[in-house]
Amino acid sequence: MSFERSAYGALVLTLALSLASALPGSADSTGRKGKAIPERPEQLSFPTLDFEIPQGDRYRHSIAGSTPAYVVEDHSLPLVNISVRIRSGSYLDPADKPGLAFLTSSLVRRGGTASKKAEDFDEEVEFLAANIGTASSNSHSQAFASCITQALDSCLELFFEMLREPRFQLSRLEVEKARLLEGLKQRNDDAGDILDREWDWLLLGEDYFVARKPTADQLTSIQPADLRDFHRRSWRPEGMVFTVSGDIDTKEILAKLEHYLSQWPEVAADLPAWPPSLPTKKPQPGLYYVDKDIPQGKVYIGHLMPQVTDWDNPDLAPLRVMNEILGAGGFSSRIVQRIRSDEGLAYSAGTNYSIEPLWPGSFFVSYQSKSSTVALAAKIALEEIDRIQREPVSPSELETAKNSLIQTFPRRFESANQIASTFAFDQYLGRSHDYWHKWRGQMAKITAADVQRVAQKYLDPSQFLMLVVGKWDDIAPGDKDARATMKEFFDGKGQPLPIRDPLTLQPQP
Amino acid sequence: MNRKRRLFSQLVTLSWVAALIATVPITAAAQPTAQVPIETFELDNGMRVLTVHRPELASVYAGWVAHVGSANERPGITGISHFFEHMMFKGTHIIGTRDIERDLAVIAEQEEVQEKIRAEYRKQRERSRLGEIGDPFDDQYRTPELEQLEQRFRELVEEQRALMVKDEYDQIYTNAGASSLNAFTTHDLTAYFISVPANKLELWFWMESDRLSSPVFREFYSERDVVYEERRLRTESTPTGKFDEMLDSLFWQSHPYSWPVVGWPSDLESYTQAQADEYFATYYAPNNLTAILVGNFDPERVRELAQRYMGRLPRGEQEPPDVVTMEVAQNAEKRMIAHCDCQPQIEVRYHGVPFRHRDSYALDVLAALLNGSTGRLYKALVLEQEIASSASSRQDERKWAGLFSLHAESRGDATPEQLEQALYAEIRKLQEAPVADRELQKVKNRISADAYRRLQQPFFLLFQLMLYDGLGDYQYINQWSEKTLAVTAEDVQRVAKKYFQPENRAVGLYYRKAGTNAEEIPPELAELPEPVRQSIQSELRKIRAEEDPAVLEGSLSQLAAQKGQMPPQYQPAFSLLEKEIGDRLKALKEQPAADDGGES
Repeated sequence: MSFERSAYGALVLTLALSLASALPGSADSTGRKGKAIPERPEQLSFPTLDFEIPQGDRYRHSIAGSTPAYVVEDHSLPLVNISVRIRSGSYLDPADKPGLAFLTSSLVRRGGTASKKAEDFDEEVEFLAANIGTASSNSHSQAFASCITQALDSCLELFFEMLREPRFQLSRLEVEKARLLEGLKQRNDDAGDILDREWDWLLLGEDYFVARKPTADQLTSIQPADLRDFHRRSWRPEGMVFTVSGDIDTKEILAKLEHYLSQWPEVAADLPAWPPSLPTKKPQPGLYYVDKDIPQGKVYIGHLMPQVTDWDNPDLAPLRVMNEILGAGGFSSRIVQRIRSDEGLAYSAGTNYSIEPLWPGSFFVSYQSKSSTVALAAKIALEEIDRIQREPVSPSELETAKNSLIQTFPRRFESANQIASTFAFDQYLGRSHDYWHKWRGQMAKITAADVQRVAQKYLDPSQFLMLVVGKWDDIAPGDKDARATMKEFFDGKGQPLPIRDPLTLQPQP
Repeated sequence: MNRKRRLFSQLVTLSWVAALIATVPITAAAQPTAQVPIETFELDNGMRVLTVHRPELASVYAGWVAHVGSANERPGITGISHFFEHMMFKGTHIIGTRDIERDLAVIAEQEEVQEKIRAEYRKQRERSRLGEIGDPFDDQYRTPELEQLEQRFRELVEEQRALMVKDEYDQIYTNAGASSLNAFTTHDLTAYFISVPANKLELWFWMESDRLSSPVFREFYSERDVVYEERRLRTESTPTGKFDEMLDSLFWQSHPYSWPVVGWPSDLESYTQAQADEYFATYYAPNNLTAILVGNFDPERVRELAQRYMGRLPRGEQEPPDVVTMEVAQNAEKRMIAHCDCQPQIEVRYHGVPFRHRDSYALDVLAALLNGSTGRLYKALVLEQEIASSASSRQDERKWAGLFSLHAESRGDATPEQLEQALYAEIRKLQEAPVADRELQKVKNRISADAYRRLQQPFFLLFQLMLYDGLGDYQYINQWSEKTLAVTAEDVQRVAKKYFQPENRAVGLYYRKAGTNAEEIPPELAELPEPVRQSIQSELRKIRAEEDPAVLEGSLSQLAAQKGQMPPQYQPAFSLLEKEIGDRLKALKEQPAADDGGES
């Protein structure tokens, strides 16, 4: 087990040495007993944090010659975490059954197993004090278990029977469908939910799987046979990546995984297609709004970003820095400073961007402000986007953003579980573990010109969409001091979007 | 440094594991649990320091807690504790300014203008009381005097802005690789936290002791607007926020817990710098604070740094006052009926016990018996009776008093009253019979296991320590498991009888506001079992969307064939389906032929 711990080991030893050298008396500029407090924090000097990035390949194994598994030992607590990422997800949902991947993963956990009714399975998991769960996203499904070491074997037995032979008990499917149906009914209750839904639709189209939402009828139509078939075709060892971390012996746990995977039934069908399809909608720039009687307007302003499959793309790091400076770096970023702390217009304001390897990402400003100052905040956000394209960022902004990204980097590898999951996700995406070794170097060499270049290349205000959910009649006229009105955007042509019936998603009259 | 030793040396074999799922009798003896190895010392000025050494980490998760929250406020300054939390990020005499002398002079000038503005609002409140205007703070009623004063104030803000180094406090930390700088306020405490790279611990001491020695409350009035936006975001724009706030005020009669942490809107408009200064002097003195570090550091160096940096803060002149107002006994049930854009739901709250009360452990076990996917509430309301989509309970112990609440959201057409009765039925069961051994053991197994799990998460550990210390005793983290594992079935039954009495509760019934219903349930279907009703409603939706008259006519003849065989309770539903198909057919016939793509 020695090499598995080397990442931690190196860190701990170096720190201990550097701390020792910084003990009182050794590095004191005043030379007096009882060191003085420097006038400003910049005058402090710090020992180096010598951090070594763990080597992904060292933790990589393959089970039964094919299924990858990342195993990281950590014996500090009597706990084991195991998880598996599965080539499934809503990208595989049939057009008339959106939600099938989600329901399948949910019922794998809630619907019992071949030998155990759902009620008995749940009781056993609970009595073991294990946490066993499943999740499903656009591009994968996932299952995980957190077990006490002494109960590991019983925990694994339950976990793998659940993965391999779920029962999809009808009564539990009905309960889950009823729960989701109640969720559907609440689709228009919270303005934030409306904002997210309409935004996804405006950018990607209602039919693209990332944005698609089931109707009540589609949900009701899903039967145990659908789940069984979906599970059989996509929940298969050939499409799985395992991670195990915690109080285990690598060899022993690999033997156990091999034992369980060898019991999987062969499936005649091909593995699901990969990668997922791309959207066909072309978003229409413009100002859109949904009327909702609340005292704030909730706002997104932005557009799609290109899909990037090349992890060595030199624009990735500067984009991250640009986003930090513009609106993602908390109080150190421009949009937060101007909208929140200068003007007091919003509690939360900022920018989000994503560059996705599988489908187009997006860039958007988000905030919420009282109705009368929605326009003023939008104006400020657009001014800042214009400025970051027009002028190079200041040296201190650049330094702060880079330092922050570089120095928080070690936290990605702080626990055994994080190490295992990070590398397993690389494997799932087909990204080299080397990516992490280049990461800080690429960040360090970014210049103000790089930031300006990507701001100009990737942000295009002429293509922006602006979506507002709130009380439009109060929002449109703008603020009391006439600093901005909604007429200033898109020639004042706001397009109302209809409220959708929460069950049918048809526009309500 | 021995890296192989277990970090938490108090680990013992988990004896219960041997009995897992076995049929052997389950022992009711208390199980030993994982302990958090906390070291503690106190500085001369009264500040307590807690440390949990985790040498395998690359960071230090650091925080401090002030033993003050909204319960320490009074009418007129409600929300000031939370507002204060925001002000603590605005810099100091050293951080955030280019010229502290001029900066303070401008702040003093701003305060003079604000004093005049407050005098104007005093008049505005009177006009409002007389009915001459509505909300005195509404912009539409601004007087020329107010506009003039506000103009003058804006000029002073501009002047100050030229002197400020914007958000420098955050920027210094960010530049040093620290992250998650934030804070939160509750009824009882205010906590400030961050994570710093392990080699930057001294920076944390520098920055935190600096803002505790010489804070400057810059941007006081624009930050008030930010807090108001936070109130709009969390309370006024959420489906149930306004009503949850009402239920709090209904529930607490005399205790300061009756006002919201964020404060009443009119108080938010009225805070002064002088009030903030007084609050700081009273509650932010070191003898009312505890610093907490979880992570990778040299424990000796922590002592030295704490002494040097935090030791410079002067002890407060007076001990912070106790909260003396106690909740009066409740003598009658209280009920709130709310209509909102929300799922129909119920909340039932009983007056319970404060933090560390001897009955709190049995109430924690009771909550655990009710919660989770194998808990009694889920089994009864969700799985068996099929009237709820979720159901849970919460034991909410605060510093000065506590409450126990039960909550459920409806499924189908179940009403809040039905949910209420089902919750009471579960409470009666707890009162009438002791809980079975195995059920109790299940809950205790989880308590033991979770005592380890919390140690996996350093930030979570920091939060728990800030919370417990803020409530009154950090050692609770290590005593809780043991005391909870000692709870017996009789204890649970006893507390269920003692606290869950009708006159000791407030009930909030939440109905979906008329007109926001997802779909009205036709009266013809109201009596049917829910799965049947749902499938018929689904049929109705299909009928309304069907474009092909032939399909509809086919369905109509099928219906006619089946109708005779159906039991009487289904007859109204069949008639409804027939009528809907008829209506749809009629609509299709009346529709102009080529309307594809036409505007409706």
